[in-house]
Amino acid sequence: MPIEPVAQSLPGIARVAVDLPLLLDLPFREGYVWSIIYVSLYVSLTAVALSTLFSIPVAVVMGFTDFPGKQFVKSVINTGMGFPSVVVGLIVLFGVSNQGPLGALDLIFTKQAMIMSQFVLATPPITAISLAAITGVDESVRDAAHVLGGTRVDVALVVLKEARYGIATAILAGFGRAISEVGSVLIVGGNITGADGISKTRTLTTAIQLEARQGQYGTAMILGAVLVALVLAVNAVVIRLGDQGVHR
Amino acid sequence: MLRLRSVSRSYGDETVLRDLSIEVGEGETVAVIGPSGVGKTTLLRTLALSLEPDDGAVALDGTDAWAAEESERLALRRRVGMVFQEASLFDAPVARNVEYGLRIRQPWTDRVRSQLRSLVGVHEPADAVSDALDVVGLSEKASQRSSSLSGGEAQRVSFARALAYDPDVLLLDEPTSDLDPRNTAVIEDAMAKARDRGIGVVVATHDMHQAERVADRVAVLLDDGITEVGPTERIFDDPSDERTRKFISGELVY
Amino acid sequence: MLIHRRRFVAALGAGAVASTAGCAGGSQEESGGGAGVAGETLTLTTTTSTYDTGLLDAIHGDFEEMYGVTVDAVAQGTGAALESARNGDSDVVMVHARGLEDEFLRNGYGVNRRDLMFNDFVIVGPESDPAGIQGMASATDALTAIADAQAPFVSRGDNSGTHTKELNLWEAAGTEPGGDWYQETGTGMGEALNVANQQGAYTLSDRGTFISQRSEIDLTILVQGPIEDGPEILANPYGIMAVNPGVHDNANYDLAMAYIGWITSPGVQESISEYQVNGEQLFFPRAVSENPDFQQYVPEGWSSDSSDE
Repeated sequence: MPIEPVAQSLPGIARVAVDLPLLLDLPFREGYVWSIIYVSLYVSLTAVALSTLFSIPVAVVMGFTDFPGKQFVKSVINTGMGFPSVVVGLIVLFGVSNQGPLGALDLIFTKQAMIMSQFVLATPPITAISLAAITGVDESVRDAAHVLGGTRVDVALVVLKEARYGIATAILAGFGRAISEVGSVLIVGGNITGADGISKTRTLTTAIQLEARQGQYGTAMILGAVLVALVLAVNAVVIRLGDQGVHR
Repeated sequence: MLRLRSVSRSYGDETVLRDLSIEVGEGETVAVIGPSGVGKTTLLRTLALSLEPDDGAVALDGTDAWAAEESERLALRRRVGMVFQEASLFDAPVARNVEYGLRIRQPWTDRVRSQLRSLVGVHEPADAVSDALDVVGLSEKASQRSSSLSGGEAQRVSFARALAYDPDVLLLDEPTSDLDPRNTAVIEDAMAKARDRGIGVVVATHDMHQAERVADRVAVLLDDGITEVGPTERIFDDPSDERTRKFISGELVY
Repeated sequence: MLIHRRRFVAALGAGAVASTAGCAGGSQEESGGGAGVAGETLTLTTTTSTYDTGLLDAIHGDFEEMYGVTVDAVAQGTGAALESARNGDSDVVMVHARGLEDEFLRNGYGVNRRDLMFNDFVIVGPESDPAGIQGMASATDALTAIADAQAPFVSRGDNSGTHTKELNLWEAAGTEPGGDWYQETGTGMGEALNVANQQGAYTLSDRGTFISQRSEIDLTILVQGPIEDGPEILANPYGIMAVNPGVHDNANYDLAMAYIGWITSPGVQESISEYQVNGEQLFFPRAVSENPDFQQYVPEGWSSDSSDE
């Protein structure tokens, strides 16, 4: 049932990419590939959206103000960019496990737990690259906005707008890290597909891992191609939106 | 109208402005001349209310800006416009740049609406925008991206951007230093038009000929502060201060 | 297909019971009766071998339909499956390492263990058989021969049921494996088979995974398990346990027991025996028997005399 809306909501490029392997007669049940694509996109896009809502204000505050410990926060963020995803998965597992502080919420082996771990993974790159983009905006542009009568908020908005390509890059980097990540979603999500062949917490990456575990390298490769096509499609959409911004 | 009274400002140990007073009135153009590094930019930023003086007062129509509430200071600040040596345009179409000052003075609902309309490409610039672009002779470039402009055109847009919201005072910091004579002439012509509208203009320049061409009054800013202020003709023909005379005649070399 | 008809019949019978119970539950939901499970989710942590062979997907639809519930099967390997259950993150475990299961029971985490089904392990290797183990009647002799020949051997190395069995075999053979010829992959069975295939190595595999993958690899069975009259030591019994609700009060005990009851029922046991991959039976049911087998409920070797140790 959740499959038709997915099929309709996906962009044409992804549809072609997925129809192709289906033509090759994969040993999957109907709807299986669609459902793992849906779970992959749902989890990654939600996590990246939340990360963005969190990261951009943090980057703005860090880009516009000086406060004690700012260097420390920066180094934490930079360390976070290289944080191994399985470690994040373990930490989130301890958090959401029945024994953990969030145990009562019953989040283990759910998409929500996967979103949490991907949020942790995607936030450092989005914050760091956004911060670099914001601090990279020419000082004279901030000056201009200010002397034309801009308040602090106006100046911040101008800087965000000037940094929009860098911020888009940051979001894409976060999305790339989230959707291509396998370690943490496997640990906290459990790679579950229902008996009806519809994914509950299986993503493209964990499906690939499963195929590889079974030695089905051929189908693993095809799912890998779907994943790459998906990432390329999302990148293309974002870049195209950016280009339209330029021409208008 | 806009007036500095006994203003001092230091950066660390270095005193840039010392006990300095200057005033610009309605429809008057004041040129601040002096060697580079003497504090002309600091003086203009102080006039623009974007820099708080250590000492002294900045008053617009008698209201001391730095003694006022922040909201009132914002209102005062928004009656002043400033143009830098660099154009510093935003990465947006020319009309959106020129419109900026008008936009940020609108309520948020209007700003959001304007943003959305511009995204879908149905946004018509306000009359004030076309008018300001007309003043600098760039009406036909309204829909171009700012990045596609030449340096001279960009600076003319920058001037229009400060003019569009009809400020009471326009502060120009070396506005033509990087420009060729043709673009310089356009800017000087626009300065004259601004003055004709009753705008008080303060232009900082190291080009004494430009000061002679555009200014009603000239202030000479040397190391120790303003050595002399007076009507343009008198300053250039008959300076009363010895150091002013040396600077104008070129004997005082910096 | 035969399975379908059989399942259909089983579903009919059980469905009749469930729907009657469902009516009763609907009228007095606050009583929290066993039938009030519709819409709930049962989390089953299990091994890669039951999952990857496709058995669970093939039979779970029946259970989900019967109770109106969802089964989340998480394939983790025996060690991890038991650990998840120990943390209260699953409701029921299906694994194949009796020693680890017994420890789990003794520590109070599991209750109501049942023998579920079995298949066997086989020692597979390249047809060239450099250690010459083909047809050996003793698995330990075969391992000793491999170690003596220093022929390449791939170990799972992942604390799975298969890995545990392999270590037990080495111990029984009195050989400490090690050296260049012995490689731990730390992966699932399918990958381990692929690694062994590419390197012309021996490995210990459960029969199910080997059969489901045999068409893609060149390895062959060199020492059979008990199903094909090989040594009993290669038996691979699967057990199922509910997580103790006295330890983890969030465990869905009602549904776990419904599941255990369902999967050990004659109908489903027959479905298990009829499940085939590449034309071969993978699992042999063990839950239904005329004779009592009390050892399946308690840790092996347990008796009331030693209960206070």
